[in-house]
Amino acid sequence: MKPRLKVLWLQGVTCNGNTHSFLNYPHLLYVLETFEFLYHSLLPSTYTLEEISTCVHECDILIFEGAYDPRMERVGTSLETLVGHYGSHAKYVIAAGSCASFGGMFKHSDPEHITGLGFDEKEPKGPFASSPKLINLSGCPMHPEWMGYTLRMIADNKPIAVDELHRPKELYSYLAHHGCTRNEYFEWKVDSDHFGTKEGCLFYKQGCRGPMTHASCNKILWNDVSSKTRVGTPCFGCTEPDFPRINMFETKTNMSIPQDVPVGISKRSYLTMAGIAKSFHIPRLEKRLIDDDA
Amino acid sequence: MMTRKWIERIEGEASIGFEFEENKVSFASIAFPHFRGMEAILQSKPAMDALVIAPRVCGICGHSHLFAAVRAIESVYANSGFPLEISPKAQILRELTLSLELIQNHFKWLYMVIYPELSHLLQRPIADSCRLKGAYAASLATKVLAIFAGQWPHSSYMIPGGVTCDPTYVDTVRAMGILDELMRWFEKEVTGISMEEYLSISSAKDLSHVSGDMRDIDKMLRTAKMHKQGFSYDRYMVLGNHGFSNPSKYMHRRMAKVNPQLVMLEDPYTVDEKTYAKNALYQNNAFETGPLARAVTNGVPFIKHLHRYFRDSTYTRIMARSYETALLLDHCKTLLQSLRLDEPSFIEPSKKITSLSEEGVGIVEAPRGPLIHKVTLNKGIVDHYTLITPTQWNLSCGSPQTQGPAQKAMIGADSIETATFTFRSFDVCSVCTTH
Amino acid sequence: MKNISEKPATTKKEDRKTSIMQTALKLFSTEGFYTTTMPAIAKTLGMSVGNFYNYFSSKDQLAKELMLYISTVLGDKLREINMTDVSVKEKVTMIVHMYFSIARERPELIEYFLRVFLSNREIFTKECTGMVCVSGFVTELMLFFDEGVQSGELKDQDFFSALGLFMGYLGGMVFLNGEEVLTKPLNEYETAIAENIYNALRKQ
Repeated sequence: MKPRLKVLWLQGVTCNGNTHSFLNYPHLLYVLETFEFLYHSLLPSTYTLEEISTCVHECDILIFEGAYDPRMERVGTSLETLVGHYGSHAKYVIAAGSCASFGGMFKHSDPEHITGLGFDEKEPKGPFASSPKLINLSGCPMHPEWMGYTLRMIADNKPIAVDELHRPKELYSYLAHHGCTRNEYFEWKVDSDHFGTKEGCLFYKQGCRGPMTHASCNKILWNDVSSKTRVGTPCFGCTEPDFPRINMFETKTNMSIPQDVPVGISKRSYLTMAGIAKSFHIPRLEKRLIDDDA
Repeated sequence: MMTRKWIERIEGEASIGFEFEENKVSFASIAFPHFRGMEAILQSKPAMDALVIAPRVCGICGHSHLFAAVRAIESVYANSGFPLEISPKAQILRELTLSLELIQNHFKWLYMVIYPELSHLLQRPIADSCRLKGAYAASLATKVLAIFAGQWPHSSYMIPGGVTCDPTYVDTVRAMGILDELMRWFEKEVTGISMEEYLSISSAKDLSHVSGDMRDIDKMLRTAKMHKQGFSYDRYMVLGNHGFSNPSKYMHRRMAKVNPQLVMLEDPYTVDEKTYAKNALYQNNAFETGPLARAVTNGVPFIKHLHRYFRDSTYTRIMARSYETALLLDHCKTLLQSLRLDEPSFIEPSKKITSLSEEGVGIVEAPRGPLIHKVTLNKGIVDHYTLITPTQWNLSCGSPQTQGPAQKAMIGADSIETATFTFRSFDVCSVCTTH
Repeated sequence: MKNISEKPATTKKEDRKTSIMQTALKLFSTEGFYTTTMPAIAKTLGMSVGNFYNYFSSKDQLAKELMLYISTVLGDKLREINMTDVSVKEKVTMIVHMYFSIARERPELIEYFLRVFLSNREIFTKECTGMVCVSGFVTELMLFFDEGVQSGELKDQDFFSALGLFMGYLGGMVFLNGEEVLTKPLNEYETAIAENIYNALRKQ
C-alpha cells in the first residue's frame, strides 16, 4: 500500500458548514483509505489539534474552512502561524467554502481584518494571494462532490485547471442555471407569480442568481437529490465573491428591467431576446404543469 | 490550582478550567474563545435576508435557525395585526425537515463523538469505519430533508407564509423510500431489533433485547459508571412547540407552564479566560435543555423509567438523545404519510414586509433544545436581532454558586477525561453558543 | 464609382425592398392604410404586381415589415445616443431632438407608427404581438432607462409608466403638429419638452 497523502483540515472563522457538507460525501471510506487526516474535527485523525498547534508536523494538502483572520487563535496558536507553517509545506491549499475563498459571510463580522486565503472578495489578498497552490472551492457551503473531485484528482496526479478566481474549471464553468428544471420558463420569460409553485422562473422577481452564478448545483445535485431552484428557492449566488449580497429574495430592477443579466451576454442582446420572448402567450407555460382538471 | 484543558472534536472549540479537591473535580469553568458577531451581521439587513444569514450561524443546526428566523418574522406579522396563514402542508414540511436535522445531528454525535470517546475512555478502540456510520446515517436523513428543502446544510426554503417547494407524490414516495432505508439501517446497526419493538421498550430490563451498537454503548456506559455521575439540577426546559415536544418546565419533580418572556441572559463568570457565551436562565435559574428535557416533559416511557432510577446522570442524558433518534424517525414517517399535496405551499402575506415595524419572537426546538430568535423590524429592516441558543442554557458558565447545568454535571468526576465525557453528553456546539 | 451591379444579389434585393418600403410608407401615411392597395403601390413603383409579390407576399406582411423597419431606424438612432458619453439629462434632450427631426424630415415613419400601427391593432395581432415588431426601439429605450436608474439620475418606477410618459408625450406633440394645431414649429418646443420629461422622470 502506498503511503497515504497527509491532509490537515483547519477551521478559521466558520459555522462548520463545509465540514458537515463534506460528511454527506458518499465515498468517505475511499477518502480515509487514500488520505491520512492529521486533524479533522470529526473524522478519524492522527493528532489532536493541540498537537497540530505545535507546528512540528507537515501536510501535503491543507484544507482550510472559514474566513481568514490572522489574529484568530486555535487552541492558543494564531491562524497566521498555523496557516503559514502548514501552508508553506503543503503542495496544495484548498479553500473549502466561500468564507475561505473570498471572505464570504464572516468577512462581515470584521471586514477590515478578515479575508479569504487568497482573495478579499474578488481582489487578490491574503496569505495565498496569487499562489499556484491555491484551489478555491467556493460555495456556502461547498458541495461535497466538489471536494471529493479535487482530492481524487490530486491523489491520481491529474492536473486541475482553475479559473481566474482559482476555482476548478470543470466545476465552476457551469452556471447554477444549467440543468435548472425551470429553464423553459426562463426561455419564454414566464415568471413565477409567487413562491411555492414548481412553475415559473425565479429570475424576474424572486432574485434568482442562477444565470449569473458559476456553480454546478443543478448538474451535480445537492445531497444527490435536489437543488435550491428545484425546490423553488432562488439561487443566492453563494459561489461568487460578492456573496452574501443584499435583498437576496428580490430581483434588482431598474424601471422593471433586471439590473444583472446572464453572464457574458450584453444587456442589449438580452433585452432584445427577452422582449420578443415575453410577447408570446404560451398557454402550456401559463398553466399548472400538472393539470388536475384536464 | 486550575488546570485548563482544550476541548476538541466538538462543533468549534472550548476550554475548561478544572479545580480539584481530593482528586475529584470541585469546579469547572467553561470558556468559548471564538466570536463571529452574527447578531451584528443581521443588523440593518432586509428581514428576508435573515433567512439566508441565520442558517449560517451553525453548520450542524442551520435548519433550526432558519425555522426560528421564519417564525420570528411571522410573529412580526402577527404582532402588527396581520397574522399569516400557514397551510397544514407547509407546517408538516417544516416540522419534517426540522426533525430530520435533529436526526442527522444525533447520529453524528452518537457515532462520531460519544462512541469513539467512550471507547477511548475505556481504552477499547473501535474501527475508524464505525465513525463513518454516523456520517452515512446522517447523509440519508439529510437526503430526505433535501428533497423538500433543496439542500442541507444551509437551505432557505422556509419563508413567511409557508415554504418555497411544491413537491409531487414522486418526491414523497422517494422520501419515504430513503426514510425506510434509514429505518432498516437503524434496526440492523443501532438496535438489532425492529423499530416497533425498540419504540415499545419501557424499562432498562427491556434493553437486554437490544443487540446492535446500542447494546455495546449501553454496556460501556455502565462499565464507565456513567449512570452514577454527571448529575445536574434535574430541571428541564422545553420552549419550542412541535409535534415531538411539549413546551413546559420541569422543576422539583413537577411540570409547569413556561413563559418565554421570562428567559433572561446574563454575563458569564470567568476566571482567567475570555469567553463570549452569555448564560441563558429562566427566572434566575439554570435549566437543562435538549433530548432529555423533551423526553421528561413529553413522558417518554423508557426515558422516564431511566430517569426514575438514574436521574439526570450522563447515562440517562446519552440514552435520551439516542432514543430520541428513533422517536423522530417514527415521527417523520407519520408526517410524510399525513402530507396532503393539494394544499398550497405558500400563502402570500397580505402586507408587504417593508411596511412593518414591530417586534417578533420565533422559538423552535433545535437538536440541543430551545432556540430563540428575537427580531425588531423598522419598515422591514432589521433594527435589532437577538439569538438565544440551547447551548447557552446547558453550557452556561456561572460562579461556584450559580453554576450552569454542564458545569454542575462535571462536579465530582474523578478525572478530566471523565468530566469532559460528561461535558460531551450535552452535545457541545461552540459556534451556536457564542454565535 | 462602383457599379451597382457588383453588389451581391441579396443586398440588391434588400435595397429594392427598402425602396419599396419607403414608397409604401409614404402612400400609407398620405392615402390611408386601407385605401392603399398592393397593386397601387406596385404601380407607383413602376413594378409589375407579380414581381411586387416576390418581395411581400401579403399586405399584412408588408405592414409588419414596415413596423420592424421603423423600429430599427429609430432604434439605431437611439443606440447612438445611448452610446454617447453624456449625462442622462442631455440624452433626454438628444432623444427629443432626434424624434422631432425624424418627424420633420421623414414624417411618414412617425405617421405610420401613430396612425397605422397604433390605430389598426387587428392587422398586427398575429405576428406583431407585444414587442416583436418594436423590439429594436423599445430595447434601446429600456437600456436608456436602466442606465438612468443605475446612475442615480432617474427614479426607479414601472417601465411602462415611464415609457408612456416619454413616448406618449412625443407622439402627442407630433400628432398635434400634424393636425396643424401648434402655433410654433415643432423644434421650438424641444427645450421645454425635454425639460418637462426630465423633471418628470428624474429622481426627486
